[in-house]
Amino acid sequence: MDFNERLSAREKSILFSNLSKGCEKQYRVEEAKLFSRLAEYFSEITEEGDCRELSEAESILKEELEMFKGAKEIASANSDRGALRALTWGEKVSRMVGSIMNRYLKKGSELLEGTNIHVCEICGFVYLGDEPPDVCPVCKVPKFKISKVRR
Amino acid sequence: MHAVRNIRLCTKDCLCLYVCPTGATDTEDGQIDAEKCLSGCRACVDACPSHAISLVPEEYPAPQEKTEEVKEILVDMMDKNSSQIELLDKIARDTDDTVLRQLAVALSKSSALVAEDFIRESGFLLPQGEETKKLLKAMLTENSDGFPVEEARRLLELL
Repeated sequence: MDFNERLSAREKSILFSNLSKGCEKQYRVEEAKLFSRLAEYFSEITEEGDCRELSEAESILKEELEMFKGAKEIASANSDRGALRALTWGEKVSRMVGSIMNRYLKKGSELLEGTNIHVCEICGFVYLGDEPPDVCPVCKVPKFKISKVRR
Repeated sequence: MHAVRNIRLCTKDCLCLYVCPTGATDTEDGQIDAEKCLSGCRACVDACPSHAISLVPEEYPAPQEKTEEVKEILVDMMDKNSSQIELLDKIARDTDDTVLRQLAVALSKSSALVAEDFIRESGFLLPQGEETKKLLKAMLTENSDGFPVEEARRLLELL
């Protein structure tokens, strides 16, 4: 695959953010900064979307949810345990996010009244509540990796 | 392979200071001095009671091969996350409703993390792997307006 051709600016930004984290974990400080700089560049040239509604994001998420079964079959057929792992976590996270979107669209702000939102920095698990669980239910990372999103 | 200290796990038992033959573990910034650290020595790694020190390899084996089919499907999945992020970021920027903004920010962040995992598993697991180098070279050849050329060149030197 020609990734330079295939990926959008937003996707390149996401990729370089991840490579930056990968360098941080190896204590390669200079490389981590350089990848962050590339991520920033692609984030700056990313085109803004039109004014939209949450329900549109929900319908794209639904399309994605329908792709997981086939994608996991491809990963299994290719004996790719890494891809299968990413898809398994991704599916769990996406199903929970779908349920949160759905509840918000029905109840509105009331859903989040007096509660906090937390996101797991490793897998993207979203938790509504004051105190996140001791370990992430999706990727099992300890809770210091689950951080609060400020209002 | 030189030693690194995870400061979050370090319980300041100082055994690493006692066993280090070069004084590399005793620094004011909490990190181990890579210049002084003897490659592969691991005396501090074995002595540390809180398992806060580990060895970081300079060289890694080539990562597992990825098939085109797996790459294709993972990037297709990532496209869906990318489209959701586009909408969520726009909602977060435009809305006056602080609750909706908070939700959009959280869901955008979550979707970006899922997308990161998909792209990482399509051949970018190891930052210094071949796929990263190929991409950086292609970007340098293309040389779009404002592209951070120096940063990309430096990365190719370092990786």
